[in-house]
Amino acid sequence: MNERLKRLKVKARDLDQKSYRQSQPLNILSDINAQNLTWMRRMAHLTARQCQAEVPIIDPDEQIVFTRTLPAEIPEVYTPEQWQELTTGRTIHESGPINNLSPDWGMVLSQGLLEQKQIALDGVMNCQNDPEKLDFYESAIITIDSVIELANRYAKEARRQNRMDLVEVLQQVPARPAQTFREALQSLRLLHSVTHLIGHYQIGLGRFDQFMWPYLRSDLHEGRLDMEQAYDLLAEFFISLNKDSDLYPGVQQGDNGQTITLGGVDQNGQTAVNELTRLCLRVSRDVSMIDPKINLRITADTDLELLSLATELTRKGLGFPQYSNDDVVIPALVKHGYSLEDARDYAVAACWEFIIPGKGMEVVNIGALSFPAAVDRALRDGLLAGEEMAGILDRVRTEIEYQVNHLAQTYEKLILPPAPFFSVLMSDCLSEGKDLSKGAKYNNFGIHGAGSANAADALAAVQEFVFNQRSIKPEDLIAALDQDFQGWEDLRVTLAGKAPKVGNDDDRADTFLVTLFNMFADACEAYGTTTLGGIIRPGSATAMYYIWLTQGFEDMREPIVGATAEGRQSGKPFGANLAPTQGVQIRGPFSVLLSFAKIDYQRIYNGGPITIEISDSVFRDRDSIQKVAMLVRTFAQQGCQQLQLNSMNLETMLDARAHPENHKNLIVRVWGWSGYFCELTPEYQDQIIARHIYAFD
Amino acid sequence: MRRGLIFDIKEFAIHDGPGIRTTVFLKGCPLACMWCHNPEGQSATPQILRNPGGERLVGEYITSDDLAGRLNRQAKIFKQNGGGVTFSGGEPLMQSAFIAEVITLLDDIHVLLDTCGYGSSDDFRHLLKKVDLVYYDLKLMDPELHQKFTGRDNSLILENLTVLSQSGVPFVIRVPLIPTITDTTENLSRIANRIQNLPGLVKVDLLPYNQSAGAKYEAAGMRWQPDYDEKKPVTANLKIFTDLGINVGVK
Ligand code: SF4
Repeated sequence: MNERLKRLKVKARDLDQKSYRQSQPLNILSDINAQNLTWMRRMAHLTARQCQAEVPIIDPDEQIVFTRTLPAEIPEVYTPEQWQELTTGRTIHESGPINNLSPDWGMVLSQGLLEQKQIALDGVMNCQNDPEKLDFYESAIITIDSVIELANRYAKEARRQNRMDLVEVLQQVPARPAQTFREALQSLRLLHSVTHLIGHYQIGLGRFDQFMWPYLRSDLHEGRLDMEQAYDLLAEFFISLNKDSDLYPGVQQGDNGQTITLGGVDQNGQTAVNELTRLCLRVSRDVSMIDPKINLRITADTDLELLSLATELTRKGLGFPQYSNDDVVIPALVKHGYSLEDARDYAVAACWEFIIPGKGMEVVNIGALSFPAAVDRALRDGLLAGEEMAGILDRVRTEIEYQVNHLAQTYEKLILPPAPFFSVLMSDCLSEGKDLSKGAKYNNFGIHGAGSANAADALAAVQEFVFNQRSIKPEDLIAALDQDFQGWEDLRVTLAGKAPKVGNDDDRADTFLVTLFNMFADACEAYGTTTLGGIIRPGSATAMYYIWLTQGFEDMREPIVGATAEGRQSGKPFGANLAPTQGVQIRGPFSVLLSFAKIDYQRIYNGGPITIEISDSVFRDRDSIQKVAMLVRTFAQQGCQQLQLNSMNLETMLDARAHPENHKNLIVRVWGWSGYFCELTPEYQDQIIARHIYAFD
Repeated sequence: MRRGLIFDIKEFAIHDGPGIRTTVFLKGCPLACMWCHNPEGQSATPQILRNPGGERLVGEYITSDDLAGRLNRQAKIFKQNGGGVTFSGGEPLMQSAFIAEVITLLDDIHVLLDTCGYGSSDDFRHLLKKVDLVYYDLKLMDPELHQKFTGRDNSLILENLTVLSQSGVPFVIRVPLIPTITDTTENLSRIANRIQNLPGLVKVDLLPYNQSAGAKYEAAGMRWQPDYDEKKPVTANLKIFTDLGINVGVK
């Protein structure tokens, strides 16, 4: 990286941009209430006012501009009473606005906003008798005008600073089609920032190497850019994503959903890896910041060279790329109603969920199924009733169905705020005259499947000691659980240490893992179609639920569980995503992959990675990069779905816990995203340290 | 069916041969090298390791059937990635009949034998018929020094080197570089001279001294008393080998 890029990185890390920040959010409420606007118009008005209030900031080092000056808080468009009235009896998803999606960036960059405006203008002409459509189209036009106006003010500021290079770019985009790589990056930077500016969050950057490559290719071809200049621009763009991200905190700082998805196949199923794919990996490796978070789509045939390049990021401890296996993901999506063309175009949402950019109003994280809670109830009731394992499993099935139905029914009442500007960025909203909040081509929900290994281990332990060996009495087990193993330490050690465990390629435990996921899939399939016209997608992730489901969280819809029969004490976290129960002795990464390869990923397809920690000592010799790349390939060859491979130095993390001031830039993988270790709260830091104590070396 | 005594099975072993492998560590070794960093591999019986954090039984008897079964589950991974199984130790030759039986039960898996060469030549010859690659340790060429630092002289090891080179099995010579002991011009030159022109020699790997070698002695109830300066940097004089046209690298 050259000096300019280094300066930009330091400024972003030091949050220099904060000095430009306005102290107060706008207050637009009295204004819009006085005009008595529809909800749609209120959202358009919000977009317009936020854009107007932005103050153009141009750093002399920047070639790609936009710095957010408005604070994190998004102005209200309703009073609390009005909001109450609007949403009573309805379900609000998280904090409300549409989130965790990826627009059709390729379309909007290549066509420009003015072309979208033309579609809306035609719409207005053609739907004079349809007030709802009219409301949508007119609102969309307001938002488009306000974003172009914001770009114009940036252009004006650029002219004032005599930055004619920037003036030229900003006169073209985002209003008109991007013609160069730089224009495309600028357009994306501005549009992506506006989505956050108006309250959307965890908005992904989709298949960046696909929709950006044509611009770079023609620049290279026409001699407008060489690879070094391309590197420079891309690095600046990546750094820019770290600039305002303190405004997008998520559940923990860093959980901001700024993901990109690289590689994969094109619409014909041919490999889509290109020069930009590799450039993104190289730039990300060198920039070494938490955003953008990279997902790499691979197959069993992906070449080791690309995997080795990706592994260099793992070696740096960035916690990405996360890998998805096209061989598994694409057919599963097709099986569940996605067209082949769309399935081939999937991207990864904020963490791991597979979505089709521009095409879906999917809520892929409506909550989590707690496998351990289901198993815990079934075990207690079943053992008390004197049942054998078959009876207990019947009860598990009932509990799983109950939890799935509860979440799905809750989301039947989902209400989403209108999103006229976000609709402009989607593939079909304007042509169909339908706001995104009213649905799109795909309207599915996703549920995480949390604590699967813990729950399977609990069943395996009961099978082993209560039924096979008959060495633990059912009433003792229940008493021990009730007392959180106080006074039952020997029993706890037996359960935790001597039973078969998921992650060891041991069918005595893995069979329960498979059964649990099949029951989850059965429950989702049995639920059928929602009133929104979608289905329920079961997944294998935990998100933050590995902690929430054991410690509780305000207003959580999921059940909390205390001590569990795999020997886990109350309050201790579950494994993150697909990982063995924490603290279990595991044979090694092959066995972990072989265990989790047994899950039927054609039915469990919402995403959720196998998570493997390897010690950084693995990387001590030259061959190691290629061999870790082989491990990644093994994951795909075994037919697994998603992989998260992390490499860390335990001592460094312990030192960072004690002396955070020395480790400001230490990056770790948290659940579906990477963050700065020192910016996490202690319970998340502890869980990551505990994970790495058991890293493979 | 035979039983063997092992002290670890390590998956994704990436420093133990081509591709990605699983290494089986056999317990028991006839030598007692002063720099041995696996002291728990030396005794041929199960033993308790006592660490500040607690106790752990090291050494597990396993049947050839069970071991082969476990390894066979990973056969596809090995095959697709140019990897396989490595038998290491301790000293695998001490349990050569067991290993031979395990190999017979494997599903066409690449096998690497990592040996110090101290064992019955007949056993070795027999085992060589079943393995694909050998890592052969040469430590010291001087018999007296060898006796002093490993507890045995090296005549058997040098004899077995001849057996190896006549077997047709490709092999890699591995030399641990112990400062001032094995890492001397004299010793390395003698090694180079002995192995040049041996049929089957693929290359020489020089293994720089591991400064944490002493870490496990106390836990194993043994005394760590290196008779050399651990801190001294290794010289790793590659030229001694390249001059003789021997392919050499530092690991
Ligand atoms: S030959 Fe290997 S295992 Fe045996 S004592 Fe020497 S270093 Fe240790």
